[in-house]
Amino acid sequence: MADQNKTESANNFYNEILSPCELFAARSRSHKLPARGQKDFYPDDSEEQRQRLQQSLDEHWRLISEERVERLGNLVKGVWIPSDRIVELQSPAGKFWQTMGFSAEGKQYLLPEEALYLMECGNLLVSHQDLPLSIQDGYEMFLSADAVSLQQYQVFGHLKRLGYVVHRFDPSSEPSSYARQLNLPPSRERGGRQLKRKRSPSPTPTCSKGESPAEKMEEDDKLPESHLPTSAEPAEPQSCSSGSAGEAGARTWWMTDVPDRQADKRPSPGSPSARSRWNFSAIPFPDLGSTGRPRTVAPPDPSLLPGGVTVGVCDVASWMQKVNLREVRMSGKEEERERRGRRRDVNKDREVQRCRNWAEYHELLARRQAAREGRPAHLWSGEVTPLHDPTQPISTAELLEKISVITSTNLLEGASRLKGSEEWRICFNVYQPDSVADFKKSNPGKPYTRMCVCSFDGPVPDLRAIKQLAFQSGDVLVVFAVVDHGDISFYTFKDFQLPRDVFP
Amino acid sequence: MAAEGVEKTSEDASSSGKVCTRFDLEKETELRFEVEAGEAADQVELELLTGMGEVFGSELNRNKKYVFGPGSKIAVFTWQGCSVNLYGKPEVAYVSKDTPMLLYLNTHAALEQMRKQAERENERGPRVMVVGPTDVGKSTVCRLLLSYAVRVGRRPTLVELDVGQSGVSVPGTVSALCIERPADVEEGFSVQAPLVYHFGSTTPGTNIKLYNKLTSCLAEVFSQRCEVNRKASVGGCIINTCGWVKGSGYQALVHCASTFQVDVVLVLDHERLYNELKRDLPHFVRVVLLPKSGGVVERSKECRRDARDEKIREYFYGFRGLSFFPFSFEVRFSDVRIYKIGAPSIPDSCLPLGMSQDDTQLKLVPVTPGRDLTYHVLSVSSVDDGDEDARKSIVESPVCGFIVVTNVDTQTQVMKVLSPAPRPLPRHTLLIMDIRFMDMK
Repeated sequence: MADQNKTESANNFYNEILSPCELFAARSRSHKLPARGQKDFYPDDSEEQRQRLQQSLDEHWRLISEERVERLGNLVKGVWIPSDRIVELQSPAGKFWQTMGFSAEGKQYLLPEEALYLMECGNLLVSHQDLPLSIQDGYEMFLSADAVSLQQYQVFGHLKRLGYVVHRFDPSSEPSSYARQLNLPPSRERGGRQLKRKRSPSPTPTCSKGESPAEKMEEDDKLPESHLPTSAEPAEPQSCSSGSAGEAGARTWWMTDVPDRQADKRPSPGSPSARSRWNFSAIPFPDLGSTGRPRTVAPPDPSLLPGGVTVGVCDVASWMQKVNLREVRMSGKEEERERRGRRRDVNKDREVQRCRNWAEYHELLARRQAAREGRPAHLWSGEVTPLHDPTQPISTAELLEKISVITSTNLLEGASRLKGSEEWRICFNVYQPDSVADFKKSNPGKPYTRMCVCSFDGPVPDLRAIKQLAFQSGDVLVVFAVVDHGDISFYTFKDFQLPRDVFP
Repeated sequence: MAAEGVEKTSEDASSSGKVCTRFDLEKETELRFEVEAGEAADQVELELLTGMGEVFGSELNRNKKYVFGPGSKIAVFTWQGCSVNLYGKPEVAYVSKDTPMLLYLNTHAALEQMRKQAERENERGPRVMVVGPTDVGKSTVCRLLLSYAVRVGRRPTLVELDVGQSGVSVPGTVSALCIERPADVEEGFSVQAPLVYHFGSTTPGTNIKLYNKLTSCLAEVFSQRCEVNRKASVGGCIINTCGWVKGSGYQALVHCASTFQVDVVLVLDHERLYNELKRDLPHFVRVVLLPKSGGVVERSKECRRDARDEKIREYFYGFRGLSFFPFSFEVRFSDVRIYKIGAPSIPDSCLPLGMSQDDTQLKLVPVTPGRDLTYHVLSVSSVDDGDEDARKSIVESPVCGFIVVTNVDTQTQVMKVLSPAPRPLPRHTLLIMDIRFMDMK
């Protein structure tokens, strides 16, 4: 690279024309890239390793600081227009024009990422304020976090080098789900506008801005897919609700620590079983029925009584004779039922005696009931119980329904109602390399795939993001390009149906 | 009973032109008086002159005249001694020394001790069930205990399971009411935002399954309330039950004790019931036998029916028919769905295999509107109209109000209804009661 020299001045630049022998040396230089070996890591603090690292680092720097020699005639010239963040071509475009750039008002333009890529390829010379830009200048000026980020450019360049045709993704050019359902052909008018739309400041406009009328109509009328069950959203895992890296969404690609959600699950206070029983021997009820108790009740503590009331000792014994002791008249039928129902005292039962409160008593009764029905009690006593009680009749279909605890769900289920998020956006349309020969920018056709760029440092897309992106993309697969300091890995989530053996 | 200590000091005509009788009550005695029932009967006025007195737990204000309408049976009790004036001619009036009020007060003190313990230990307060045969003063004991609890600063809940003589809502319902102030001497507890469920009949025996189900519903809602409201939890509840204590009625009592997880059962004046409950309830439930008051009067069937009618009239027209002005409007048959809970029972041999009779008792049977609907009381269920899923839970849904059908026109397919609120009906799912109400008077 000839960074320093190129930035100096126009005169200097024309002085840079090489002499024949220099040119000859440059042409015959080896164009082979040094092969990078396996990552040889784990620092062991040895001098040998340090040297090896330093050597490969030097080699790297040497390589990128090497002066690139191009024929002036092969360089297309362009001017950087910072206000629009595009590059206007000054000389006729080269072969790349088939898949890159766009024209408006009779002029030819390149998007910043395209211009930078072409600069790196040695096809373009961009000048700004009459000075030619170096590649380093290009990186600094063309890329910015709010327009094309470095990561996006890295993915763009990677795919371009592999031969793919890569275009910015424009959400408004996507037919809405309503149009999709009606099977509308992509409208010509929209296709025509597409080129101008490409002037949009970044490849990542918010989807909410670019809603087509059809999409809006769908929002209002809830015509298509409104029959979806309302439970679609609650069915999603909790992590969907928050895109912030603070809580559940903080799971990074590395999965360094799994958040322990169980930890803060405390047993709810005030559960009936936590209650201790009353000590009725200390709570004096004036009970006429009890025998062998004190016949009188001591005057209660005045703090327990309504204001102004003070009473003396309460004599229970005198009331004993006045209670109704008469036999209850009963019809024959009732008599019969009574005899049959005549049970022994529940409190004679040792197990009942051990119960301290209603919760334990109910549990005991349930256990006995279960034992009577022949169910193994230990299976049904815990919080987790069998899915089905074998004593209950059930049809095969219902049983299968019961067994499928995890129900299949379509990735697109409920997605139409999700609002687009700022965090996750589709960046690029990618077209197959073999389509380049008959590729038309005005009518690119259906992309092979769509790219969503994210970083290994950032969070993994949650279900909400995946649903929303998949919905936005329609029938084209969304691929996540995950950038790790220049290394790019591609991931995709595919929708599939769990097989079912029996159809009722 | 001995009527001693009565001093008819001034039996002259008072300012209102009524006969005035003065009673001087000693400490811990009770003045009982009854007002003659019937249309033509006169009201009786009560005035506290000196000392302190209370009517069923609610204290009397001095020099305020309390008016009691025909059929009232009132007891003025004093802990310290007081003198009162009665204006008008009560059917009977006497002073009795022989009252179980001290026992009831001690019961309250014991319950209050439990509430204090609950407050200390951050647990729930006592849940009390009051049981006994008819005409032993169950409702009065409930009112007494609730008023005392409120007077010491508690917020207890009244659970009314007496479908025949509901103290909260119209008959044929079970309900729960949070008590925040002592009962009014004349009107009883102020009914604000009660939770009411439709039962549909005046005796639990017509559909015991539904009765038990509604009891469970109330218990569940009450437990939920206790979880979110600490005060209600500490206050506990007092459950008033039906006077039916035999057979299924007894089983319903045991079921109620079980679902509400009651801590104390107060048995009024029925030793046999006391012994049975001691036998059938686990040992950690305290069963207490209490005497009934000598002042309790047995009510005839007619008397009970009149009381029911009065309760419905009170729902529409307010206390003594003075404060509310109901609306009358027409409702088209097509706008409402009328159901009856519980299908007529079928012999088991006619049922499909594997189905039991229980299912029919909780089943919703659509009612075709017709002339026989006239004068029936209908509950307006709070179930959402459009929701198909909600319709399944009509039985377990509370009621938002009641209407009475006053006229049915089968030709134009409309019925005229009496409603506490102007049209339209808040919901369109109606549940029919066996109870009828004729809007005369």
